[in-house]
Amino acid sequence: MTEELKQFDHGPITANQGTIIVLLCLSFILNTPWLVSIVAFMMVLGTIVGKPGFGFLYTSLLRPLNIIREDIYPDNPEPHRFAQGFGSIVASASAITIWLGAAGLGWTLTWVVIVLAAANLFLGFCAGCAVYYWLNKLKVPGFNKSAPKGKIPGLSLKGK
Amino acid sequence: MFQFDITRLIIALGLCLLFYIFYLLIKQWSLNKVYKASNRFIRNDTNENVIIYFSTPDCVVCKTAQRPALDRLKNLLKNNLAVVEINAYENPKLTSQWGILSVPSTVVLDKRGEPKTINYGIASFQKLLSQIEKFEEM
Repeated sequence: MTEELKQFDHGPITANQGTIIVLLCLSFILNTPWLVSIVAFMMVLGTIVGKPGFGFLYTSLLRPLNIIREDIYPDNPEPHRFAQGFGSIVASASAITIWLGAAGLGWTLTWVVIVLAAANLFLGFCAGCAVYYWLNKLKVPGFNKSAPKGKIPGLSLKGK
Repeated sequence: MFQFDITRLIIALGLCLLFYIFYLLIKQWSLNKVYKASNRFIRNDTNENVIIYFSTPDCVVCKTAQRPALDRLKNLLKNNLAVVEINAYENPKLTSQWGILSVPSTVVLDKRGEPKTINYGIASFQKLLSQIEKFEEM
């Protein structure tokens, strides 16, 4: 179990969370399940390639326009990837249930994703990261990074 | 393609408002813990703004990120800022009374010793400076 932290830019993660919140809120207000599907697809894609799904908006638009600045500090990138994977499963389940006609359940799942992303963005609490660190404590194979010393698992190293 | 529905907009705004209220309550709750533990004011004879900095010897980001930010701030504000470092392991009672959940955490006090803000996690140089400037203006 390693405790080495990597310096990396958290800007793409911030951009990803912000975009997910905005698009999912819009999809609910405009009643557009296809937008939920697009968000879920981007999150799945991001999880597969190991980058934030909407991270490209950060490099191409949000950082050049100074809307989101570079945010480099030491952290473990793996729990964030896991968190996105966790979110992508809930978002996909949300899209599928809406398409299958269980709109109430589907939109509730959409709001679960919105609330989890907002908790990460505004409160600095990453629920997926917390799950990752708990799985590490339980010595589940593949969850090799432990929570940095002195930190509550999932709570951002960067103050909000 | 789009079905704009005012009810959905109201629900979305209501949920966002609820989340915002929750956010404010958490911030206020953490500050109230410090108020309660310190009788609102912490003795401050220095006439300087004070940052109480909770850390532990094995906290890597405290050394690599938080300490440099505090040193930079101290260099800028010089006699207008005192930084008090507290080892959370050696002061578990104080740490718990103040509701410090993780390290690094910083509590920013004004010149009268009134706690103004708590930052859980790394607080950047810019963030700490803007917090001090904010209550200096008041």
